[in-house]
Amino acid sequence: SCYLRYKDLHVYQLEHPTQIIEWTSGKTVCVAGYSSGKNEILELCLPLKLLADEKKSLCAERDFKVVHGGFSEGPVCCLTHIPGTRCAVTNDGLTSDLQLWDLGADDTDVIRKTGSLPGTSVSQAGSRIAARLSSPPQVLHGPQSSSVQLTQLSTGQTLYRLEVDSTEPLSSLKFVSETTFLASCCDGTVYLADTRTSAPPQASPPPGECAPWWTDASAAPQCRVIRLSSSGQAVVSDLRNLGGALCRAQLDVQTLPRKPEDVTVAWAPALDGCFSVSGLSGLVQIYDSAGWRAEPQDASPLFQHAGHSVSSQHGDGSAPVFITTHVWHPERPRTLLSAASDGSVHVWDWVDPQTN
Amino acid sequence: MPEIKVTPLGAGQDVGRSCILVSIGGKNIMLDCGMHMGYNDDRRFPDFSYITQNGRLTDFLDCVIISHFHLDHCGALPYMSEMVGYDGPIYMTHPTKAICPILLEDFRKITVDKKGETNFFTSQMIKDCMKKVIPLNLHQTVQVDDELEIKAYYAGHVLGAAMVHIKVGSESVVYTVSVNKFALCHSGAAWIDKCRPDILISESTYATTIRDSKRCRERDFLKKVHETIERGGKVLIPVFALGRAQELCILLETFWERMNLKAPIYFSTGLTEKANHYYKLFITWTNQKIRKTFVQRNMFEFKHIKAFDRSYADNPGPMVVFATPGMLHAGQSLQIFKKWAGNDKNMVIMPGYCVQGTIGHKILNGQRKLEMEGRSTLDVKLQVEYMSFSAHADAKGIMQLIRMAEPRNMLLVHGEAAKMEFLKGKIEQEFNCYTPANGETVAVTTNPSVPVDISLNLLKREMALGGPLPDPKKPRTMHGTLIMKENLVSSEQALKELGLNEHQLRFTCRVQLQDPHSDSDTLHRIYTHLKSVLKDYTIQHLPDGTVMVESIVIKVSSSAEDANAKVLLLSWSYQDEDLGSYLSSLLKKGLPT
Repeated sequence: SCYLRYKDLHVYQLEHPTQIIEWTSGKTVCVAGYSSGKNEILELCLPLKLLADEKKSLCAERDFKVVHGGFSEGPVCCLTHIPGTRCAVTNDGLTSDLQLWDLGADDTDVIRKTGSLPGTSVSQAGSRIAARLSSPPQVLHGPQSSSVQLTQLSTGQTLYRLEVDSTEPLSSLKFVSETTFLASCCDGTVYLADTRTSAPPQASPPPGECAPWWTDASAAPQCRVIRLSSSGQAVVSDLRNLGGALCRAQLDVQTLPRKPEDVTVAWAPALDGCFSVSGLSGLVQIYDSAGWRAEPQDASPLFQHAGHSVSSQHGDGSAPVFITTHVWHPERPRTLLSAASDGSVHVWDWVDPQTN
Repeated sequence: MPEIKVTPLGAGQDVGRSCILVSIGGKNIMLDCGMHMGYNDDRRFPDFSYITQNGRLTDFLDCVIISHFHLDHCGALPYMSEMVGYDGPIYMTHPTKAICPILLEDFRKITVDKKGETNFFTSQMIKDCMKKVIPLNLHQTVQVDDELEIKAYYAGHVLGAAMVHIKVGSESVVYTVSVNKFALCHSGAAWIDKCRPDILISESTYATTIRDSKRCRERDFLKKVHETIERGGKVLIPVFALGRAQELCILLETFWERMNLKAPIYFSTGLTEKANHYYKLFITWTNQKIRKTFVQRNMFEFKHIKAFDRSYADNPGPMVVFATPGMLHAGQSLQIFKKWAGNDKNMVIMPGYCVQGTIGHKILNGQRKLEMEGRSTLDVKLQVEYMSFSAHADAKGIMQLIRMAEPRNMLLVHGEAAKMEFLKGKIEQEFNCYTPANGETVAVTTNPSVPVDISLNLLKREMALGGPLPDPKKPRTMHGTLIMKENLVSSEQALKELGLNEHQLRFTCRVQLQDPHSDSDTLHRIYTHLKSVLKDYTIQHLPDGTVMVESIVIKVSSSAEDANAKVLLLSWSYQDEDLGSYLSSLLKKGLPT
C-alpha cells in the first residue's frame, strides 16, 4: 500500500496542465500552460511540510503556494531559469523566438515579460533552452543542431555558435560544465561542444535504431550520458568517450509512437547511477543502472509512480492521461515532481524497496 | 449615479479581524466583526471610529451579519455590541450561533484569566450580545426592514459557514469568506449560477493556495497513527467540532477494517454529547441534497470505536482516543495529555489551529517543557503532530465561484496587497476587480434596472405573435411605451444622463416637374412661388443653388430621360415633417406660369 512505498506524497490539481517544471530555487518551481491562447506562468513554493526536516511534524502546511504569477500570450513549451537571476526564458514551441521574463521579487507577485530575443532560424519548430551560472547572464538556445547559439541576455549579442551543418531537430540542450554543453538530436546524434572555442564539436552518432532518442547528461564527477530510444533501448556512455557504450539495457516500456516533447529522461542528481523515465508508459519509472553490463539485458524499474493514471479524473473514457514532464529535486535524493495532461502535479518522496 | 460603497475596517489588505462596511440603497451593513489574533492591544479590534467618532453604532447600522464562527470573523462582536454599543439585529446561521459563544468564552478565559488582560469583554457581555442574534436558515429570505433583504447560502468550509446575498431594490451584494468544492456543487447551482450581483466580495487569502488532495492528508494521518500503534504507543486526538471528529473516525474505522488492526479506538463521552447536539443542529440546518451526501452515521454505530472511560487512559498497550476540548487547554483531553506526555512512544495529533496561550499552541511551537498548575513542570516526550484538515477553497475554487456568480464587480479582502496583484490581474481579464485597503472606501457605480409592470393586453399581443416561449437565455425585443411620472428635464440633460447621442432624422423626396427652363431659372421660379404662398416662413435662395424653407432643402436638376422635365429633390428633418410633406404636395401640382 502507498503508506509504505512513499515517505511523502502530495497530489495537486492545477487549473491548467503544464509541460514544464523548472526549479527557480531549492524551494520553488515554475509551471506554465501550453494551450494555444493566453496561458499562465506560475512560480510555486513547495509545501513547507515537505521541506521542513527536523520540524516536519510541527508543520501542517501541505499546500503549494502561488508566489508569483503572470500571463503569456501563447503556449509555454520550454522554460529555463537563468541561475543567479530572477529571470526566466521561454519558448512557445512554434517558432525559435525566445521571451524573457522577470519572475518578481518580494514587493510584487506578478511575473512580467521584459523582452524577447529573436530566434536563430526561420524554422517552424520550437527551441530548446539551457543556462548555467554566468556573469553577465547568457542563454544557450536553438531548434536544431545547425542553429544553436549562446546569447547575452542584456545585449542580445551572439557570443558563440555551434558549427554543425546537420539540421536535425534537437531533443535537448544541457550544460555539463561552465563552458561545455551537450546538444542532443532527435535522431540520437549528440554533440559535445565548448563555448570558448569555434572548433567543431565532438559528435557521436546514434547508438542504434528507433528514433526519436532522448538524452540526459550528468555533470562531474559522474560524467555519464544516457540515451533512450522510443522502443526503450537505453545506452549509457562516458561523457569523455561518447562513441563507446559503457552499458546497455532494454527498459520495461511500451513501444508507442511518441512526439519528442512527450518523453523525459533524467539522471538522479543525488543517487549515483539512478535515472528516471516518463512518457513511455503511463508511469514515472526509476531505474538503477549500477548493475548493467555492456551486453544489453532487460532491466526492471526499481520504483514506479503510478499516481497519475490511478487518480486520473478522466474516468469517462476520454483521452488517457499521460505524463508531460518530471524533475528530480536538486538535493533531496528521492524527491521528484511529476505533471500530467490532466493538470495534476505530484510531489513524491519514494522509499527504496531494497532497503526494507 | 447610484452606487454601492464598501469599506473594509479590518482585513482590507491584511489578514485578521475581518470587518467590512457596505452601504447599499441607503442601508448600512456590517459584514463580520473579527479580532486580530496577532495584537494584544486595541489594534486587535476593527476601527469603528470610521462609522462614528463617539457614541453607539445602533443608529448608523441597519444590521450586522456574521459569516462563520472563526474568531477572526466574530471575535470582536461582544466588544462592538456591548462596549462600543449596538442594539440592532445580528444575523448568523444556527450552528454559528451555537458555537460562537463557546469560542468567545474560551477565548475570553484564556485572554483574561491566563494573560491577565483588562480591557476585554466579560462573560455577561457575551451573553447579552448573543441575545441580539437572529438565527438564519439556509435559502430563507429575511426582510431586515421594508427594503433590505438577506439570504444565506451554504459555504461549507466550516460548520455553519454561509455565503450571504444582500439585496436592496435591484442592487445586490454577495459576501463569501471562502467556499469549498462541495458548496459549489451542492449549494443549489441555480442561485449562484449567474446570480450577477453588483459586487461579489470574497477573501483572497486562499487564492494563492493550491491544495494537497484530501487523500494525501488522510494518508499522512493514517500513516502516523499506524506507526504509533505498531510500536505500542497511544494516540491522543483533541477535537472540538463535529465534522472533523466524525470524518477522522470514519477514516480510522475503514483503515482498521482493511488492515485488520486490533488496538481499541475510543471516543470521549463529553464529545459525544456535544457531537450529537451539533449533529442534530447540522442535520436540520442543511438542505436535503447536502444531508444525503454526508454519511449519516450515529456515533455509536462504529464497529471498532467505543465510548471512552477515564480509567482506560491507564490501560497498557496501544490505543487511539478522541477527546475534547480541541486546544488542550482544559478538560478531558488535557488530563489524558498529562498522563501520556512522558512516554516517547505516544503521539498527540493536533487537527487544527490553536489559540495563543493554550497548551496546544505551546506544543505546536516546539515547547517541550510545560508549566502546569502548582508550579509543576511537564516534560513533553511524546511525538507532536500538527495536521490540517480544513476545507477552504483554493485558487481554482475561487475562480470557479466568480465565474459562476458573474458579478458586475469583484472585490477582494483579507490578503496582503503585494500578494493580490496577480489574482487581481487574473480576475480583471474577465471582471472589474477592487482591492481596497483598511479604511479605504470603494464606490462602485451600479446601473440598477427599474422593475416595470406590463399591461396584460400588451403581453397577450406579444404572445399572439407566436414564436418561442419567453426564455431568460433568449431575450425577445418587444415594443411598448413606458408611462412614468417623474421629473421633467431638457432633452439634452436626459440624453446626457442616459449616455445617448442625439440622432437627426431626415427625409428626402423627389418630385418630377415639367419645366422647359434652365435649372437655375426653375429654382428661381420655385423660390418666388413659395415666397408668395408661404408668407410666414423663412425662405432663402442660397448661392449654392438651393432653396431653403426653414430646414427644408430644395434642389433642382434636369431629368436624364426628358429634356423638358426637372427633378426636384426635397429633403427635410424630422422636426419639419409636416411642412415637408406639404411642400412636396404643393410642388407636385406644378409651378404657376
